Amino acid sequence: MSEIRTLIVDDSSVMRKIVERSLRQAGLDPLVVYEAGSGTEGISLLMTKQVDLILSDINMPSMDGLEFLRQIRARNLAPGVPVVMITTESSEEHVKQAILAGAQGYIRKPFTAEQVKERVLPLVHAA
Amino acid sequence: MLLNGVRKAAIATGRGGGGIGMEPTMAVSLRESLQQVSDPRNLDASVEEVFQMMLGVNCRRDSSPVAQNDREPESVTAVVGFGGLLSGACVFTTGSSAALVIAGHMTGMEFAEVDDTVEDGIGEICNMLAGVWKGKVPELAANCGLSVPAVITGRDYRLHVQAPEFQLHHLYRFGESSFAVTIVCDGLQ
Repeated sequence: MSEIRTLIVDDSSVMRKIVERSLRQAGLDPLVVYEAGSGTEGISLLMTKQVDLILSDINMPSMDGLEFLRQIRARNLAPGVPVVMITTESSEEHVKQAILAGAQGYIRKPFTAEQVKERVLPLVHAA
Repeated sequence: MLLNGVRKAAIATGRGGGGIGMEPTMAVSLRESLQQVSDPRNLDASVEEVFQMMLGVNCRRDSSPVAQNDREPESVTAVVGFGGLLSGACVFTTGSSAALVIAGHMTGMEFAEVDDTVEDGIGEICNMLAGVWKGKVPELAANCGLSVPAVITGRDYRLHVQAPEFQLHHLYRFGESSFAVTIVCDGLQ
């Protein structure tokens, strides 16, 4: 399998590390990870890097994950790249908002590596 | 002061009766669900879930009256505000040595002192606890926003909330480490 270039957007550096570790445990290998601490940083990265997968937190200061997602779709950054939202918000309404904004998947925090595998691997294989 | 700031951020997030980026919802009241919202078992279940899934450890409720080890040089407190149908905060407090253990379990790294990464980890634990706790009550899950976590490190400080609607304060232990989780509700619609 060719390398899977993944952008992880989260204002928490600890969560970025946990997500990366979970992806590796899920069998995504070889994995190249780009990290962004905000939606704005994520957009800047997408202007210079090509990625195969995006995982983003929702609840972030300045630009939240939904706005980040709307902007990358509106600017046609990373077209066709699956986006998975990772968040503590778990209501049906939040899931609906994420899907409407253009997300393909949704992982609720806290999560296990197995859950990451179930939600992410099919998207990577389908892309 | 800090608690007010955190709460205001959550209220801004949850304004309109919905969560982040959500349309205002029909009038929903939590008053009738107060017993469910303040059920202490929801907090215990939330703590167990977060610590089991993110740290791989089992926590048990600690009924001993001493909250913190007096020998701890400092404590680490994370606060996540609630806004919307319920206003208040989730407060996670632990000693510095337990904070190092918790961050170590989360990241697989070893920490010698409370640094930015440890504070970040404690903030995330509090964020997940707040999210899981409000997710136990459907009306709250859909109509209550969360602020981003704020973390305080230091000694000789205490949290005071004037006349809360209700307050849950539980102590937990895993291994040699202990921590406290407080849910403060000072407004309910």
